[in-house]
Amino acid sequence: MARIRKSENGGAADGTASDVNDSKPATRLVNVVIPAEERDLVKVNNTNLVDLKNACDDILKRFLSRPELFKQIHTHTDVRLALGWASVLVAAGTAYYGWKVEFETSKPVVWAGMIVYVVLAIAQTLYAYFVEKDIVFVGKRKTFDKRIVTERITMSSNTVPSSPSNPPAYFLSATYVRSASGGKSLLGRGKASDQRSYNAFFDENGTMDQERFESWVTELVERVMQDKTQ
Amino acid sequence: MFAEELKAFRRLGVRGVLVQLLNFASVIASGLMMWKGLGLLTNTESPIVVVLSGSMEPAFYRGDLLFLTNPPNVPYQTGDITVYKVPGSPIPIVHRILETRGIVRNAPKSAIAQDVADGQKSAVLRAVEGQEVEQLLLTKGDNNPIDDVDLYNGLDWLERRHVVGKVRGFLPYIGYVTIAMNDHPNLKYLLLGVLGLFALIQRE
Repeated sequence: MARIRKSENGGAADGTASDVNDSKPATRLVNVVIPAEERDLVKVNNTNLVDLKNACDDILKRFLSRPELFKQIHTHTDVRLALGWASVLVAAGTAYYGWKVEFETSKPVVWAGMIVYVVLAIAQTLYAYFVEKDIVFVGKRKTFDKRIVTERITMSSNTVPSSPSNPPAYFLSATYVRSASGGKSLLGRGKASDQRSYNAFFDENGTMDQERFESWVTELVERVMQDKTQ
Repeated sequence: MFAEELKAFRRLGVRGVLVQLLNFASVIASGLMMWKGLGLLTNTESPIVVVLSGSMEPAFYRGDLLFLTNPPNVPYQTGDITVYKVPGSPIPIVHRILETRGIVRNAPKSAIAQDVADGQKSAVLRAVEGQEVEQLLLTKGDNNPIDDVDLYNGLDWLERRHVVGKVRGFLPYIGYVTIAMNDHPNLKYLLLGVLGLFALIQRE
């Protein structure tokens, strides 16, 4: 059960403004408060940067894919799974064939299998490096504002390593696109990013302050949704 | 201990579990492919073998790791150390070549040489014409008193096709890990189980 509160961030983001001027997009993001019973305690190893980033990414994904907010699009994950499992199956088939059939006669098939495996492995690496990069969440939602408006948000994150004066930080950037009539007319786009050191979200035991993280994410998402082009 | 892991898995969802399983499976797949690739490059079915007996001492001791190649058209020579498998026994043997013989097997004659009678041709021309010279080998372990004819299961000579490869290099002692895992298969399953558990739980 989520208590819905009107956003308090910025006058222009107020929901009531959209009734007056209906070309202005509704940038209000429903403020969701998750009661304590529904939360699992998140505790990670404070010194492990990978764990810290994964914990933040997990909470981000779980928060933004709530039904009131966005619907997650799993394309990147699905491509990675498809290429990965295809290469595993090719490898398993080739190895099984090479085991069953005597070496000399098996050579052409094993060569073919090897080449297919290498191609798939290279495809996976190229996809992860060029297409997926740092993206952790891609979400979509449809709102009705005189016509069906589709909004698409992409969140990327990476860890900023520590320097002598700053602790390690979590850098989150959001890209936002709104379009209408099935993606054909572009209504606006936005890009925003913010950085917070991990200290802000994790205490000395490694317990994560999820509400504070979620409200920071909410603030960033609302900022990116504020339309700068119109 | 497992209740927490199960809860973590349920939180991951179907996709998350598939991704974790993929991490584990792809490690195994890449290992398999590297092994097969090495086999293809060296033209032998097992490019790395472990010495099990002491019949090649003092050159190789039990537990040494051997690296093999099998160059396709290069004949083997006396003194090469080869690993061979006699048909009918599953265990490959690593011994040194004592003697080699080449015999000529008849292959279909090429059109060019057809009108010239066999007796008028020299050995070189015969080889050029496409008749194959097959190698027959006799081996003996350095530390054995007699040669290997008794091991050949009825054959008098080893044929080239029985040879897995020729030794090109070795590493001492490393093979004991494989010997231990073969003598105690539980060790093998334990190792695989532990690696699997780590791969499933770790997230990168």
